[in-house]
Amino acid sequence: MNAPSTINKPTVLVETSHDLPLVSISVAAKTGSLLDPEGLEGLTRATGRLMRRTGGGRDAQQIDAQIDALGGSLAVEVNPSATVIQGTVIRRSLTPFLALMSDVLARPGLSEEELGRLKRETQAELVEALDDDRGLARRWFRKMLFDGHPYGRPVSGVSTSLERITRPDVERTARRLVARDGIIVAFAGDIAQAEAEESAQRLTQDLPSGELPADTTPEPSAAPGRRLVIVDKPERSQTQILIGGLGTHASDADHTALLVGNTIFGGTFTARMTQEVRSKRGWSYGAYSSLPIDKRRQAFSMWTFPKAEDAAPCVALQLEMLSALRSGGVTKKELAWAKRYLTRSHAFTVDTSSKRVGLSLDARLYDLPENYYEHYLARIAAVSLEEVNNALAARIPEQDLLVVVLGTAADIRTQLETAIPNLGETQVVKFDVEV
Amino acid sequence: MPVPIATRARSTAGAASAAKNARRSALLEKLNADASEWGRISHVETLAFGPSLQIERFRLKNGLEVLLCEEHSAPVVAYHTWYRVGSRHEHEGKTGLAHLFEHLMFNEVEGREAGEFDRLLEEAGSEVNASTWLDWTQYNAATPRDQLGLLVKLEAERMSRLVLRDPQVTSEKEVVANERRYRVEDDVEGSVSEVLWATAFTTHAYKWPTIGWMADIQAFTTEDCVEFYRMFYAPNNATLVVVGDVTESQLLPRVAKAYGVIAPSVLPLEDVRPEPAQLDERRVEVHKPTSTDKLLVGYHSPAIGDWDHPIVSLLVEVLFGGRASRLHQRLVRELELASEVRAFVGPFKDPGLIELFASCREGHRAEELLSVIDAELARVREEAIPDDEIERGRARFELGLLAGLDTADGKASTIGFYDTLLGRPAAAFERLDAIRQIGASELRRVARKYFPEGRRSIVLVRPQPPTESAEEQP
Repeated sequence: MNAPSTINKPTVLVETSHDLPLVSISVAAKTGSLLDPEGLEGLTRATGRLMRRTGGGRDAQQIDAQIDALGGSLAVEVNPSATVIQGTVIRRSLTPFLALMSDVLARPGLSEEELGRLKRETQAELVEALDDDRGLARRWFRKMLFDGHPYGRPVSGVSTSLERITRPDVERTARRLVARDGIIVAFAGDIAQAEAEESAQRLTQDLPSGELPADTTPEPSAAPGRRLVIVDKPERSQTQILIGGLGTHASDADHTALLVGNTIFGGTFTARMTQEVRSKRGWSYGAYSSLPIDKRRQAFSMWTFPKAEDAAPCVALQLEMLSALRSGGVTKKELAWAKRYLTRSHAFTVDTSSKRVGLSLDARLYDLPENYYEHYLARIAAVSLEEVNNALAARIPEQDLLVVVLGTAADIRTQLETAIPNLGETQVVKFDVEV
Repeated sequence: MPVPIATRARSTAGAASAAKNARRSALLEKLNADASEWGRISHVETLAFGPSLQIERFRLKNGLEVLLCEEHSAPVVAYHTWYRVGSRHEHEGKTGLAHLFEHLMFNEVEGREAGEFDRLLEEAGSEVNASTWLDWTQYNAATPRDQLGLLVKLEAERMSRLVLRDPQVTSEKEVVANERRYRVEDDVEGSVSEVLWATAFTTHAYKWPTIGWMADIQAFTTEDCVEFYRMFYAPNNATLVVVGDVTESQLLPRVAKAYGVIAPSVLPLEDVRPEPAQLDERRVEVHKPTSTDKLLVGYHSPAIGDWDHPIVSLLVEVLFGGRASRLHQRLVRELELASEVRAFVGPFKDPGLIELFASCREGHRAEELLSVIDAELARVREEAIPDDEIERGRARFELGLLAGLDTADGKASTIGFYDTLLGRPAAAFERLDAIRQIGASELRRVARKYFPEGRRSIVLVRPQPPTESAEEQP
């Protein structure tokens, strides 16, 4: 990829590939739902979606029909730290598609009527989401782990917070999302550098100048002790289990070592967790651990989904494995294996132009250390056994641990409480309480 | 509608093509001179895959088909093995065997430890997975180009030297039972979809789910698995699809050596029981732990190879595809009765189902959704669909096809799917050409034929009455 062009703001990233007659365009802002005011959760996401539906003063039906007619797709993704308007279009329609995107960014109608409709649609989607056990468990895990921190608040909002959102709220937020000086535009696919830069200029020329608001979000902190939260849902034959605590930050000195350690513990199909939980015991179809990154420290979590009768022994096994990981570390053989896996499989993180430009975009959106992805392979190669084991002992939580289990509480509570040594607090929450 | 027959490739003209053919002939001559009994390999045909790529079809003497699509944009290779066996080949009481077997294929082969397949391939940086459906089972792997040799060897080994033992079968049955709990028992949509298919089909093997009924999964024996393996896992029941940064001279010697030692099987005669025409409306009402009513409707669809399949697919796109579609506009946007509506035309070897799904908003009933859907279906049976709506449907198809071809893995999936079902690996592009030529009259004809009044299956899903909370906050 060519060096990003920033001469005439915004920052423009380009990855050209003429393999397919497709162009993908991402217009991204380093601001997301963390800035939703308390009580107005869901505001940033609602604003992005409303812009998408009302670009150029069109109504949503017109804009959807036009996107389809051009052979395009246009979506708005909002997470705590970033908002990305992502479009893909068949190359022959690039010019009118860019004009439409420009209308979405610079001239959204944000009509009161469409806002009302969008709020009702989102509320209905939240009701639908109650059928998704995995999604529910994840929402509760995030809420309880980051309790009191903005990370614990729902990106989509809840019914009552959506109800409170007004048109002036949305107009204010829209200005924040498209402040020209904070925008990054990324192109991938059938478009050359010069055309991409010129297109970015056209996309952003009508945006208001302005800088992003300062991000004053504090680092999250861990609640002390072991906590069990049972999300009580009737007639569950199976449970959804998430166990974890605070994880890694990309600027930690031991960040790469921790990623390697997690790969050995639960990062692949042959990692310890899958072997013990799935292959040896058949308890869960999947068993993984993860360490996502963002601007602030994120979670470390283990995920399994055994049947209700196996929930308590599965939690007990996972806690034993966690303890063994921290105290005993990983072996030299495991480390060598993980390094080979991570190094060779890297080919699949950069095998398409959209993936390559996506990495560059992420590095900027989440303030990753300089050359985070460019030096990734070198960092993996340099990690030592001692560094991995020190990182696991220092960073993987064992005592300040949250266990979230979605299931039918009457069937699993007693066994779970027995299976968790040094358990402090148990909370049973109803699955249909909004979070 | 004229269906374009563009399968046979334009043979590449000119000196470059002649040189390539000469190199291939020399390569095959050399390979065949040293070939094992079943390893003799022949070039069958050259096919165009879209505007810029080509597929070369080879065949080993043991019947193994090899489709190679060279594509050098990234140093990776997708390597898919498609077996022509799915849940349609099962019997009552043994449902789910094809899917369980897919799991077992990752366990142990002769001369290697259990789990070594996954361990070696992950160490090689490969991405490995598999899937089973009604008509087929496919094993998909993608590997860095310099690790291809290992992948070819391991895939060939498990085609003929799989070890099946009681402890592994027992453990894997439990994994599959847990997969079923996840996808079906505790998933409202998964469970009611099974009800719809079991209602719409009375005779054909499509009436049971690919994952199998729970009682069948739990009753399988190791002997069942051994018999299934011997019956269906053979080179003459499989196609290798290889896409990516690899040449014929790099691939074919490895394939001939690894698979050339495997003898073909005598494949069983398939026992297909055609589904009789549905002449009635079948209606089932179920209660599930969900917050709102759901509606599922199934109409019998044409088979994937039927002339009408792309036409029905385009019609369904106009009616249900995306936010600008007719039913989304009516149910979600204008009337605000539904939170979601969508439809799917089964891409199956035999006639399957056109599945319609809609989820009510709170305070509304499934019957309200059905009456709006019925009105829109009646409309397309009578009125011509305007050109702009047809054009939008076509553009959505084209975008969907192109987006699916972004990776080597995506191309291999597309090629393998159409070759397995139709014997035409580039049929995705044929369908696109066909869709470009469909007009309003054809859409109205298929609306009348495939959305007949009173001949369908309906599942009405009601929320279960609330129960007393078993647990209270301490």
